[in-house]
Amino acid sequence: MIQIESLQKTYRSGFLMIPKVALKGVDLHVPQGMIYGFIGPNGAGKSTTIKVLTGLLRKDSGKVLVNGFSPSDVKSRQSLGYSPEQPYFYDYLTGRELLTFYGRLVGLWGAELNSRISWALSMVNADKDWIDRRLRTYSKGMMQRVGLAQAILGKPELLILDEPMTGLDPMGRRDLREAILSLNKEGVTIFYSSHLLSDVESISHRVAMIVDGRVVREGTVDEITASCGVEYHVHTLESIPLADLPEGVLSAGHPQEWICKDGMARDRFLSFCLKSGISIERMDHQRPSLEDVLTQEIVRAES
Amino acid sequence: MQSLSNIGVIALNTFRESVRDKILYNIFFLAIGLAFFSILLGEWSVFDRAHVIKSTTLSIMSISGLLISVFVGISLVQKEIQGRTVLTLLSKPISRAAFIVGKYLGLLAVVAVHLSLLTLVYYGILWLTNSNPTVDLLQAIYLVFCEMAIVVAVALLFSSFSTPVLSALFTLGVYIAGHLSNQLLEQVRFVRRMGEVEGMQSVIMEKTAIFVHAIFPGLYRFNISGYVVHQVALPPFYLLWNTLYALGYIGVFLAVASWWFSRRDFL
Repeated sequence: MIQIESLQKTYRSGFLMIPKVALKGVDLHVPQGMIYGFIGPNGAGKSTTIKVLTGLLRKDSGKVLVNGFSPSDVKSRQSLGYSPEQPYFYDYLTGRELLTFYGRLVGLWGAELNSRISWALSMVNADKDWIDRRLRTYSKGMMQRVGLAQAILGKPELLILDEPMTGLDPMGRRDLREAILSLNKEGVTIFYSSHLLSDVESISHRVAMIVDGRVVREGTVDEITASCGVEYHVHTLESIPLADLPEGVLSAGHPQEWICKDGMARDRFLSFCLKSGISIERMDHQRPSLEDVLTQEIVRAES
Repeated sequence: MQSLSNIGVIALNTFRESVRDKILYNIFFLAIGLAFFSILLGEWSVFDRAHVIKSTTLSIMSISGLLISVFVGISLVQKEIQGRTVLTLLSKPISRAAFIVGKYLGLLAVVAVHLSLLTLVYYGILWLTNSNPTVDLLQAIYLVFCEMAIVVAVALLFSSFSTPVLSALFTLGVYIAGHLSNQLLEQVRFVRRMGEVEGMQSVIMEKTAIFVHAIFPGLYRFNISGYVVHQVALPPFYLLWNTLYALGYIGVFLAVASWWFSRRDFL
């Protein structure tokens, strides 16, 4: 659905047109049917990549294909839905009028348009009275819902969402997560950027992490976090003298809790406990979160 | 087919957006006020009252059309960019050319409605003052519309790459140059014939005047108030040729605006 190879983009700003490199060779492949999270710190290039995909920005170099077409080709947007970060709309229209306008732009008319609007509103839980009020009276959360509704009106095969969770309260985030999962079940590929890493961890099939204009990690959440190492926390019923601990095992700050730095250390510790007749109460494995990995990558990029 | 439909949808939305612009109503009511003021001018003037009312009202139509074209036209594209509504709009399966043409047709519809309403007021005034409201006057109004169709395209061209203030200045510049280019050329040639300027200087002056005359749309062609007020017959096919002339310029301006707009990045 999305294929990006060596994508580069430079902005020029100010009177002297000073260049600032935003994308330094992004590579990304989003297969059909995925919920694909795109994460990174502010200014890393998430929105720039998304705007290149939607044809709003022109690439400097590299290869970009959306639905098999270049973003400069109108055909690439025929089965594409997009909701920008903090969507802005014509505030003199009501939510329903706005959806009617966008629906016509994707070729919907008459009864089909009305039924599609009802479907889109129910998907984003926005089939409420306020949809017939003017957009200038809407809260940020209402705008996000209308933004998503306009993006899915044409029943796209690919949905691109730029920070869709921004401005939503916990209920709104839950509704949006459910809408994304539900659309994905209907076969829609979803590519979205977000700062809310807990949401990304919970719903994404795959994740790409972009830092300083480059994709630094890509894979499932498990693959990305496992690549940074797994710790095992072991709770014993008896205490153990520190001097007796096998290599790679540390105290967790409690006389009966121990940290094994990797699988080898875990195995050594379990053998030690069996030989010493020490009972094990429980063992947990703790992986770093996406946030930990992202923080590591940011520090690495800065250094 | 879908592209044509999209142009229509954008044009309709532009029309709806423009008719909510307060400046439009200020210009419209100012034009109506001035049209009624032309009755007084007719009374005070030493010339024939009907002639004064007709020529003044035609000028008011032209100038109010210009004000709408400039002040509403220049902000049309910029509003979409600054309001960031362009991000969602251009992510739909529409080309940037369709966006520009849709915007153009929407504003042109506003100008058409404005001129139509003023025409009703115009004929009402002529009828009230018993000033011989002939059908011929519609020819002059039609050419005012053609002139405004060019000016709207110019405004849209400049607003596709420039700020609203600069776009307004550029558009007014083209309007003035378009009205004076013919006179400039005639004056330069007259001066040259009279031998007041000679040598290289005269050649440069004439070439410059020819260049200005060729590059800017000859908007003076669309002012036929002298013909219709004095009921002088127009040259054969005058309306047809000038319609084609206007369409030619509009096509070029919109093509350049679309090309330029398609090269823009939207952050």
